[in-house]
This record gives sequence, structure tokens and C-alpha cells, in this order.
Amino acid sequence: MTITRVTQQMMTNRSYVALQTGLGRLSRTQEQLSSGRVLNRPSDSPTDTSSAMRLRSSLAAQARYSRNAQDGLAWLGQIDTTLTSMLGQVNRARDLGVQGVNMVTMGTQAREALAAEVDQLRESLISGANATYLGRPVFGGLVTGRTAYDQAGAYVGVPGVVSRTVAEGTKVAVNVQGPDVFGPPGADLFADLASLSAALRSGDVATVRSRLSDLDAAQSRITATLADVGTRYNRVDRADQAAQNAGLSLTTALSNVEDVDITKATMDLKMNEVAYQAALSATARLVQPSLADFLR
Amino acid sequence: MSGSFASLNTALSALRYNPFALDTAGQNIANVGTGGYTRRRVEAASAGTPTRPAMWSRSQDSGGGVTVTGISRMADAFLDARVRTEHGKQSYLDTRQAVLDRLETGLGEPGDDGVSAVLAEFRQAWSDLANDPGGAAARSQVLARGGALADAVRLQTRNFAAEAGDQRARLTSLVDEVSTAASDLAATNRAIAVARLDGSDAGNLLDQRDQLALRLAQLTGGTARLNDAGGLDVALNGVPLVTAGIAGRLELASGVTPAGAADGSPVTFQVTHPVNGTTAAATGTGGEIGAVTELLDTTIPAYVAQLGSVARTLADGVNALHQAGYDPTGAPGGTFFTYDPADPAGTLATSLSDPGLVAAAGVSGSVVDGTTADAIGELTDAESAYQRLIGGFGTAVASGNRLAATQSMLTSQVDGARDQLAGVNLDEEMLAMVQYQRAYEASARVITTVDAMLDTLINRTGLTR
Repeated sequence: MTITRVTQQMMTNRSYVALQTGLGRLSRTQEQLSSGRVLNRPSDSPTDTSSAMRLRSSLAAQARYSRNAQDGLAWLGQIDTTLTSMLGQVNRARDLGVQGVNMVTMGTQAREALAAEVDQLRESLISGANATYLGRPVFGGLVTGRTAYDQAGAYVGVPGVVSRTVAEGTKVAVNVQGPDVFGPPGADLFADLASLSAALRSGDVATVRSRLSDLDAAQSRITATLADVGTRYNRVDRADQAAQNAGLSLTTALSNVEDVDITKATMDLKMNEVAYQAALSATARLVQPSLADFLR
Repeated sequence: MSGSFASLNTALSALRYNPFALDTAGQNIANVGTGGYTRRRVEAASAGTPTRPAMWSRSQDSGGGVTVTGISRMADAFLDARVRTEHGKQSYLDTRQAVLDRLETGLGEPGDDGVSAVLAEFRQAWSDLANDPGGAAARSQVLARGGALADAVRLQTRNFAAEAGDQRARLTSLVDEVSTAASDLAATNRAIAVARLDGSDAGNLLDQRDQLALRLAQLTGGTARLNDAGGLDVALNGVPLVTAGIAGRLELASGVTPAGAADGSPVTFQVTHPVNGTTAAATGTGGEIGAVTELLDTTIPAYVAQLGSVARTLADGVNALHQAGYDPTGAPGGTFFTYDPADPAGTLATSLSDPGLVAAAGVSGSVVDGTTADAIGELTDAESAYQRLIGGFGTAVASGNRLAATQSMLTSQVDGARDQLAGVNLDEEMLAMVQYQRAYEASARVITTVDAMLDTLINRTGLTR
């Protein structure tokens, strides 16, 4: 732009605009530094705003997945502990059965003692099968009550899968349904034990033998379930880890998009300050002198 | 060679001219900071040989001093027109930008307090309910978060509606201001015509005329045209508002009721002119009025409609899943959100008040199943639609900011160009003052000298000592 004639109004206006621009820049840097954010409104950078909002929603999703996974781990952990202790008890019941096979040499009292211990084990196993997490029986499926098996050992659960969403589109079942691990109702572990104890009392060796093989089957079912639960536990645990890691990296990414680079902002502040001071001093020097000072 | 007394007349003309020029310099200096003042310059001509002194005679005059031929006003009609055009555009962009900035700040995005944060909490609540479907606390939480989400969406809609209300009130007063400025301009036009006839200096009236035309351009983006009488005629998109000494009134034809409420139709204007009658003013008027009209007709309704579609997506998505689910008594779920299809964003609300009616289960009769709650927690449609909405709005505001910044450079360039011509330079006036002062002193010396010469002629002629 060629300036052919400079006038006072022009200089005043220009100085004012220059000062305003300088002060405006200072105030923007000041806003960034004091809020700690470069993104204070969508128009600061529409693209970054979209990223920031997506990152925030992903972050919330990962936190959700992690919470779900924690809940799932507690379920699976409870099942694992319970089944491990039940496996030992089934073993013990089997030992008692094996002793009972040789009962020809035993007296009634000894057989009665065996049967009584089997009964004890059965009750203990039933209470194990009623293990709960937060008031819900872990082997009861979708049962509303607090038990999966009643005192007589009959299954009262409602078939159904309890699952947790541990990653986008990934649902993992965190329960084990009673019949799947203890056998079908009527021919399950508890019925086997009741039959075993009755056979021991009556001295029916053939039935004891056949119950022994049933107990073997029960043991292998429990072992297989333990392996399955362990696999699921690992899977949920990995999903939890993945969600937490994703949460960390998303937080970093969000901070990169939203937060101010303090060093850069401080440098900017300093530079804008210098520019503003230069504008001030230029204005002071340009507006002051007049020909009136020299013509007398 | 003219007579001896001619020099006295020449000096006298200078003694008359120089104080007059000094007066003008004084006027310029006095108005150095006056907005809209255009500097004056005294136009002088040396008086001398008449072009035709008399029949068959010739003039022997070598010069007759100086005469004032007029005072010119250092204005350029083309530059003034440019200034009006650019200021009209500038005030359009600035007005729009100021409102958009305000609306944008009210969104609170991206941050921990905006709608998207509440939406994330809402989904979290459903996910928690899925983990503990039997828990009364989780059920109440879902209802509370649902209510908070509906509140946040309604609040945002209310912010936009409140801004629209303010802008309608502003539009009413702007329209009045246009009519006032138009009638002032017409009065000034009449005064200019009179001043032209009686030959008095119309400089101040012309300054006032330009100021009023500039204000009208800022208000409406109207264009001004110089008429035969020296006044300015203003037209809004071709519809005459001011013609010479006659001013029309700008009125709101539709869009805003006299009480300042919306009447449901787009904002339109009409000009009632004493001569031309009532004419519908073309839409798309620029300036502040154009910006407010665009905000009221396009920007705000478009955003609210998009927010409404987000609210509808959210409500329909949640309702569909919720109605397919079952509450703890085994009954199918009802609607979770209600809204009025005419204004989804402004009427979004939760329809349940009893936590026991929240349908978390996917199978009937199960208190402890949470598959429906889980599915609702995983709904993402509304979230991504809202993100797109905010991204789009941010882009519009950012582009508006850039346009306004660019326009402001252009406007200040044009202002500068006008100032170069019309502005007062104090140094220049100081130099002129010194020049006129010295010229006055010298003219006085001419008189003294002629007087001395005459003294010699009259009193000393013939004396030898």
C-alpha cells in the first residue's frame, strides 16, 4: 500500500489497531496459560475439538470396560476358589467310597461312619454350590433368590448366562451354571453322593462301585470347568489390562490435543509481550512530536 | 503599468485572503479528531487581467491580488462509496460473529460440563446397572443421569432460544434506528439543496450527510447514490428508502410480533415510502440487520434442528431397546425418554419416575439379568451425531472469525485510503499557518512601502533638501 499523505487520524487509528491486536494476542496466550488448555471452545480448532470429543468418549468407554472387567474377575475368581475347594471334597468322598468297596470286612458301625462323613461332605458341597457374589449365587444362572441348590440338593437356579462387556462388542460369560459343572438335575453330584451314602449304609457294593465311576465323571467335569474358568479369567484380565492401557494412551492423546504446551505458550507470551511493548513505545514516540515544538 | 494606488488594493486583497485561509486552517486543526470531518482547503486564484476588459481596449494590469474562489471539501465520492460498502460488510460479519461466539461459549465443549460429558455419564450408569441389575441404587442412578442428560439438552436449546429472543428485540430497535437515520438523512438532503441555492457553505451538512449514509450502510448494507441536489439517495437492495428530501420507514413485515416474540415465519421487511407506497424490501439485506436476520432465520433454527435430531436419535434408540426389555416385575419396559416431535431438543424428558420401572432385563421375569441395560450402555449413535454437530458448529464459527478478520483488514485499508485524502495533517496546517502569517506580514509591509513611496511623491517632490 502506498501512502501518499499521512494524517493524524490515520496514525491514531493505526496505532490503536496495532495496540488492540497486540493486546488481543496477549490475552489469547494468557487465556491458554491460565486455563491450561489450547482448546477452550470448538472454533479454536474444529478438527481438534472433534478428536477431543471422540477421545473423551473412548476414554469413558474404556473406564466402563475396565469396571465391567473388574466385576467379571470377581465373579470368576469366586467360582475358581469355590470349585477348587469342592474338588478336594469330591476327592475325599471318592476315597471314602473306595474304602467302602472293601466293606465286606467292615462292621456296620464302620460303614455308618463312612456314610456319615459322605453326608457331611455332601452338605458342605451343597453350601459350596450356593457360593454367592454380592448376594447372587454364582452357579444359579439368572435365579433371583440367594441359593442355587436347596437344602435337599435340588437345583433351583434359572438357566441363563451372566455376561460382562469387557471390550467393544466382546461379551464374556462370567458365571457357571450349576448343571453344567455338577451334572444334570436328578443325576448330579449331590444325588450321586446321597446314593453313595445310602449304598454304604445298606452294604450294596455294586452301587458303590457304580457311584465311584460317577464321582470320577464329576471330578473331571469340575476340572474341565476349572480350566474353562481359568481361561475366561485370563481373557477378562487381559481385556481389563488392555482397557487400562488404552485409557492411559487415550489420556495422553487427549492431553496432546487439549492441553497447552506450557513452554511454547510461555515463549509466545513473552514474544507477544515484547511485540506489545514495541507497539506501545512506537506509538509513544510517533504521536508525541509535532511541528509545533519546532516552530516558535 | 497600473496606477500607484493599485498596489494598495493588491496588498489589501492579501490582507483579506490570508486571515480567511488562516481561519480555515484553524477549522481543520480544531476538527483533527472529529469523526467524519473532511478537511477543507481554501481555493484561491490570482486576480489579474480580465478575459475581456472592454471593447477595443487592452488591460495594462499586471496583477490585481488574490481572490477566494471557494472552499473545497477534500472528499472523493468513489472512496466514500467504498468505505460504505466495506463498513456494511464489516458490521454484518462482526454482528454475526459476536453472537456466534456467545453461543459457542455456552456449549461448554470440549470439557467436563458439556452435553457429551453428561451423555458419557448416562451410558456409564446403564453399564453399572448391567453389572448389578438387582441394585436399587443403580436403578435410581440411571433415572437421575437420564434426567440430567435431558436437562443438559434442554438447557442448550434454551440458550439458543434466549439468544434468538434477544436478537428479535435488537432487530426491532435496529429497524427503528434505520427509520430515524433515514429521516435525518432526508432532512440533511433538504438542507444541502437549500444551501446550494443560497450559496452558503454546505461543508458541515455534507459531513453530516456522509455520516448518516455510512450509518445506514452499517445498519442495512444499503447503497447510496449522489442525486442532482448534492444529497444522497439510499436504496435497500433496489428498494428506495431515502429519495432526496423524502424518507421512507423500514418496517418488519413478518417474523417478529410487535411484542418481540417469533411469529413462526421468516423475518421479512417492507419499506413504507410517502411517494412509492409500501414495498416489500428484498431479503438478504446486509449490515447489522442482515446479520440478525440470518441468525434468526438460518443459523439458530438450523442448530436447534440438528440438536433436535440428536435428541431424537438418543430417545428413539434408548426407547427401542428399553421397550424390548423387561422390568423386575416381568412387564415389558415403557418409553424411557419422551419428546414432542415438533421440538425434540426443547422437550426431551425422562418419562419414568419409579426406579422399579427401569427395564434392565433382556428376558421376562428375571430381576438379575442386565442384557438390556448393557445394550443401552453401548449405544453410540447419539454421541457421534452430537460430536458431528459440535464439529460443524465450531467450523462455522472459525470460518466466520477468519472472514471477519480478513474483512477488518480490508476495511481499515479503505478507511486509511479515505483518511489519506480527507484527514487533517497537523504539520501541514502548521506550515500553512506560518505561510499565511508571513504573507500577511509581507502584505502589510507592501502597504507601508507604497505609503512611503507616496509620501516621497507627495511631500518630497520638488524639494531639494
